[in-house]
Amino acid sequence: MDGRAVRVGDIAAGRAGDKGDVLDLTLVAYDRSGYDALVGALTEARVADALHRVVPGPLVRYDIPGLLALKFVASGALPGGVHASLRAGLHWQKAAIWLLLDLQVDGPQPSLPSLALKGE
Amino acid sequence: MAESGEVDAIALECLAERTLVNALRMREANEEAGFDPRLARRLRPLLPHAARGCRIVTNLGAANPSAAARATRRLARELALPALRVAAVIGDDVMARADAVEWTQPVADGQWIGAHAYLGLDPMVEALAEDADVVITGRVADSSLVAAAPVQALGLDGRAVAGALTAGHLLECSGQISGGNLTEPNVPDLDADSYARLGYPVAEILRDGSAVLRLLEGDPGRLNVVSCTLQLLYEVHDPRRYLTPDAVLDFTGVRFEPSGHNRVCMSDARAAERPDRLKVIGFLARRGTIADIEIAYAGTGALARARLAADILRLRIPRELGLAELMIDLVGVDSVLGAGSRPLAAEPPELRVHVSVRCPDADAAQAVEDEVYALTISGPAGGGSLRSERRGRVESITGFLPRERVATRIEWTDAP
Repeated sequence: MDGRAVRVGDIAAGRAGDKGDVLDLTLVAYDRSGYDALVGALTEARVADALHRVVPGPLVRYDIPGLLALKFVASGALPGGVHASLRAGLHWQKAAIWLLLDLQVDGPQPSLPSLALKGE
Repeated sequence: MAESGEVDAIALECLAERTLVNALRMREANEEAGFDPRLARRLRPLLPHAARGCRIVTNLGAANPSAAARATRRLARELALPALRVAAVIGDDVMARADAVEWTQPVADGQWIGAHAYLGLDPMVEALAEDADVVITGRVADSSLVAAAPVQALGLDGRAVAGALTAGHLLECSGQISGGNLTEPNVPDLDADSYARLGYPVAEILRDGSAVLRLLEGDPGRLNVVSCTLQLLYEVHDPRRYLTPDAVLDFTGVRFEPSGHNRVCMSDARAAERPDRLKVIGFLARRGTIADIEIAYAGTGALARARLAADILRLRIPRELGLAELMIDLVGVDSVLGAGSRPLAAEPPELRVHVSVRCPDADAAQAVEDEVYALTISGPAGGGSLRSERRGRVESITGFLPRERVATRIEWTDAP
């Protein structure tokens, strides 16, 4: 972090879904710079770390630059499906997108030449 | 929407992945049951519009489209609409061929409740081509359910079908494209009155497979490029290969252009091959039950008393009942996102201790419930407002069946 960290949910909208035991998360960035920031920060490893505090299983990221969107698909995250869950009530996974929306990432790069040397 | 006179067809998607389980159990008890019990409530206001040319395509048939069509006929007679043509789509129930299904998980341990293939456009388009006013299905792909009427009315093929299926996918969750389940950065959420009257989406499908997605004039909601993008990618896993019975859709090239208030143009949906296999959903009852119980604490010190109650249950349930698969947490603190919850900033004025335990049988579930109830008199002060439920352990298993093994037919329910 370089002091310009932003919450993912402040630069992107998101939604969680599921099918069977698969947890399926989508983020849509608000603009190209936000998308680039998410692509750089939300690596499969980083998101897997965040998710693995809560659910098991491998994670795959799909990039859809034309729609400024990223998908994170976690197979086996919901063992036995929604109805085999030990969580209170049913369909807790609808809230799982906040596991991503509440992450902090380096903010989008302002397009100022003086900042082009960031990281050096 | 029907009253607006602006729509040629309405799709009613009423079948969640698991809804079929209840329907199958109802059918087992009564062979004229097993369709959605909301059928009369949903169709009563719509059938007069169906008689005037607004076609209805719906999966209210659930586990028994045939009986649902008969019930629809009775409803039509009751509404003095004897000429209404009602078609049932038969063939999604593939339980008899479960052995031929290639399941993606082991299925040996459990009892089958049912298995249903996701049917595609063909039987619905056929029924509409034969002038059905109402088409009632069981398990069909949601995108195909919505796309059937435009595909038939416009005689779409090839790439245009991909567009209609994509529009179908965009519409299948109704309010989820028009402001439901949506929060956007730096934009206030819709207010309660807008949510309370949330408009459902309409798609104008064009012959080239593009579509205009919009709300009806005066309907509140938020249908914009972000809401469309979220819905396009909702639950599709690989966006390059979204599997439907009619085509493998590629959403990565789809373009959304704003086109006015609550109005977006969609284009450039692409399709690859028509899959050789149909997806099947099977329901397997596993042994045992989940007991899910809560007890509440309120007032000063509620958090400490709730934590104490949770610790007592953590000690007693494994030790006294020998049950090891359990989850204990605090509703209002960490019962939804678990270890991923945000830290607690202040003591909540009240909260609930939640415990769920995987139990081998009903006696064990009862014993767990007894443990929690005992806290009211033998645990921390003021435990109350208890609630409990038991859930059978039904698992949804995905499989695939060669297309030629799934035979469909139309059943007409003619006027008596």
